[in-house]
Amino acid sequence: MIDENMRQTIEGLIKKFPCRDSAVVPSLSYIQKVKGHISENDMEDLAIILQFPEARIFSAASFYSMLKLMPKARYHIQVCTNVSCSLVETETLFDHISGKLGIGEGEITPDGLFSLESVECLGSCGYAPAMMVNSEHYENLNFKKADEIIELIIKEFTGKYP
Amino acid sequence: MITLTINDKEVTLEKPVSVLEAARQAGIKIPTLCYHEALKPYGGCRLCVVEVERMPKLQTACTLMAADGMVVKTESEGISKVRRGILEFLLINHPLDCPYCDKAGECELQDLVNKYGPTVGRYKEEKRKVPESHKDQIFARNMERCVVCTRCVRMCNDQQGASAISIMGRGNHSRMEPFSSDSFNCEYCGNCLTVCPVGAILSRLYMHSFRPWQVDNEVETICSYCGVGCSLVVQVRDESIKRVIPRTGLGVNRGLLCSRGRFGYEYINSQDRLTTPLVRKNGKLEQSTWSEALHIVAERLSGIKRTDGGSAIAGIGSPRCSNEDNYVFQKFIRMACGSNNIDSISRTGYAAAQKYFEELLGQGITTNLIEGLKNSEVIFVVGGDPTAVNPILGLSIREASRRGAKIVVLGNAKGLDRFKTLQVVPPVFREMEVLEELLVGVSGVKGARGEKLDVDKGIRMLSDTYSGSMDIEGIEELKQTLLNSPSTSIVFGMDLVQRANGHRAVFAIAGLTYLLEARLYLLSDRPNEQGLIDAGCVPDMLPGGRPLDIHDFKRKFETEWGGPIPEEDGKTLFEIIEGARNKSVKALYIMGDNPVFNLPDAQYIKEALQALDFLVVQDLFLSETAQLADVVLPALGWTEKTGTYTNLERRIQLQKKAVNAGSGMEDWKIISEVSGKMGYKMAYSDAEDIMDEIAKVSPLYRDLTYREISKGNCLWPYHGEPLRGEIHELPAMVDAASDFRADFYLALEKPLFHSGTLSRRSPALMKICPEPTLKINGAAARKLGLHEGNRVQVTTAAGSSEVPVSIDDTIKDNKVLLSNNFEGQGLFSLLTYTLDPVTKAPGIEGCEVRLIKI
Repeated sequence: MIDENMRQTIEGLIKKFPCRDSAVVPSLSYIQKVKGHISENDMEDLAIILQFPEARIFSAASFYSMLKLMPKARYHIQVCTNVSCSLVETETLFDHISGKLGIGEGEITPDGLFSLESVECLGSCGYAPAMMVNSEHYENLNFKKADEIIELIIKEFTGKYP
Repeated sequence: MITLTINDKEVTLEKPVSVLEAARQAGIKIPTLCYHEALKPYGGCRLCVVEVERMPKLQTACTLMAADGMVVKTESEGISKVRRGILEFLLINHPLDCPYCDKAGECELQDLVNKYGPTVGRYKEEKRKVPESHKDQIFARNMERCVVCTRCVRMCNDQQGASAISIMGRGNHSRMEPFSSDSFNCEYCGNCLTVCPVGAILSRLYMHSFRPWQVDNEVETICSYCGVGCSLVVQVRDESIKRVIPRTGLGVNRGLLCSRGRFGYEYINSQDRLTTPLVRKNGKLEQSTWSEALHIVAERLSGIKRTDGGSAIAGIGSPRCSNEDNYVFQKFIRMACGSNNIDSISRTGYAAAQKYFEELLGQGITTNLIEGLKNSEVIFVVGGDPTAVNPILGLSIREASRRGAKIVVLGNAKGLDRFKTLQVVPPVFREMEVLEELLVGVSGVKGARGEKLDVDKGIRMLSDTYSGSMDIEGIEELKQTLLNSPSTSIVFGMDLVQRANGHRAVFAIAGLTYLLEARLYLLSDRPNEQGLIDAGCVPDMLPGGRPLDIHDFKRKFETEWGGPIPEEDGKTLFEIIEGARNKSVKALYIMGDNPVFNLPDAQYIKEALQALDFLVVQDLFLSETAQLADVVLPALGWTEKTGTYTNLERRIQLQKKAVNAGSGMEDWKIISEVSGKMGYKMAYSDAEDIMDEIAKVSPLYRDLTYREISKGNCLWPYHGEPLRGEIHELPAMVDAASDFRADFYLALEKPLFHSGTLSRRSPALMKICPEPTLKINGAAARKLGLHEGNRVQVTTAAGSSEVPVSIDDTIKDNKVLLSNNFEGQGLFSLLTYTLDPVTKAPGIEGCEVRLIKI
């Protein structure tokens, strides 16, 4: 559900563009910023505000890997599985992380700390392999580096959030 | 003039087109997958690549415009290699389940791979796996087969305007999906089905029941649902209709169909069809033989004619029957029975409005082509949702909107929600006053036009008695839009005609049409409402719109028909009903209609029919009316007989026979048999014979033959002379409408998926829309504690019904909508009516309604 407050912000966004349709992606990323992910209800409400078909809003939301349609864990790991990133070692980075966390594509660890997702190119082919944790970008990875990043998060988390 | 060379062949073009179309004009076929004639070029599949001299790379022929002096090659070793490569890529994911796939045989990918493609793919990885979705009642969606050509999405967005489906995800995971990913929840036009080149979207209606090459018979015919008269193709196997498909570019619909036309054909094969004549014996309808039934009908009608005179007999024709049927029927009533008491259900709207328009403007019919709507700058929609009543006409309005036209709507029109520029929703039942206010406002600026003095006089009378503004939001803007428009079309639905004093709305619309020099479109929800009037199924006119009271016309017909046409004025539909109640009408012959259900105040109508001495009903089903009859005669339906239909723009089209019916007789045949037994011989060998006679007597159809009609584009000429004489009555200036203070008012909803007696016997339409729902505003529903799907008891003064609620925020305040399509739950059974003094249409009354949650 989009409340009145959010609706007004979206109306404000619309004014920045020549037509209402152009505000689809900015509105979606705004919804995600506020709620963490975009639900089906949000899209229905947005369709009414923008006077734009629901299906096309869904289409845009599902196209961008940065827009989340499902609730995610605190740390959302996105691993590139495109050609360059998959060439690095015999086992891909994705499989490695998946093995380490014990979760597959789109799944969440039982403690709700990590979720994992494979994505198409993150634009770092020259520094492959690459992955993202929430909005942080990591390049030139290998299994060891990836392990370190994950362990660091676990350590920090156990310290800060009991 | 553009001249280019394609494959060493010189091609000259009249208009600038793409290289692909230029090649097709020259008879050279370039393979395509994402291209479709009905859609804009997309350039997605890259299969149409061609070599163009002096261009370094291969070019997509669909997006490249042909230019003068271009030298194009469409086939070469290099091009074939590229095409083979593209197909191999497509086959990475496309499963090779052709033996199982319904599309095999008419699959474009299959044909292409057959021609260019690799027989074996080199890709060894696993294919994309997505289970086939059967969650929707009508469509099966197989996303393994999808080649993401986006034809379906472009069709849904750009042509249909429903925007219900879209491409979800990206890259390898792209797939076509409706928003809810479950059921389609859309307009169910099925146009995505037509354009899918592979077996990704399939119809569940005929799934796995036949192969495209196993069709015995394919007939190009027209639809039997509404007044647009769309062309469609019926495919038949083993004497049953397998499917209905459109053909790109064909007919008024240009290859688009709506849900009723595409999925509503199954009633023809219904188990409920009447198989033998029924005769009432000892108060019960019993099976009988044709000879006995026809004998009884002829005997009883002759008897009543002898004892009470011809005027005690009346007939009700049918806007669902062909011109030929209706022509023969009115001739039978006039000549064999000796009565002018002939009318039809069209009197409830179309025929009534048409007559009054004709008196006012000299033209009652829609004198413009449906296609012309697309070119209007302003389209004013009143009295109904064109996208539900006449869906294909509605698409023209949507297209105009996409082109930049202003769509202004008075009242509710849900299908135009995303296309309208302005909507004015007056308080319940006040549309008429808004129209009058608009008319007064427009005439204040425009002044009198001075061509039709009576209309000018009427407008002046209206302006004089006009008392102050109604203060409704948007009305001033609406007026300005209409005044500033260079070309206006007015689309008028019949909802306002069916109100108390409905003629005032007709007059206001006529006045606006007259002052703004607008084009008028009358919506018609039955296939032959115009044809029925042209065929003479109205009390005051002979075929061809010739008024009965002009002696010369009458004499001409008398010579042709060989006998006197009765002098006495005929009764209109509701006068016939009154006549039945007061015993001045003793016998009624109903052809193909169901007045008990289709007219308001079912109980009143039922009593009238029960008061008759003799009632004959000719129908496909044992309808509510047929159950009261003394004799029921099984007729033939759509695709079982040949005949012509006239659509709302006067286009005469041929509906062809496609299957042999098991039982029943053509309507005209039954009538001519009865007529013969009553002593008035009608010797027609087939429907074409009747058309020949109509062409002889009716000036509208002069010299028309079936051969001429089947070529298409056959519109009867419109000369613009008011055939039925001058204006009889100007609108009575009634004081502003009475108080509307009840909590809720019930109004008629015309749904997209149903049309009544026929559609409710079509399983597919029943799956899409299984039961009537009461549409109510969200805020009002909350006040009553109602949620979507709750059942509610709807009680009016005339009756009560139990229906589920569906919430629709486009409806304003205290109005609730109910359709009149489902057995035992029709809206009309809950309402009463008073007759409009001018149009003789029923003004629906008793709409105050009580809603109680169950």
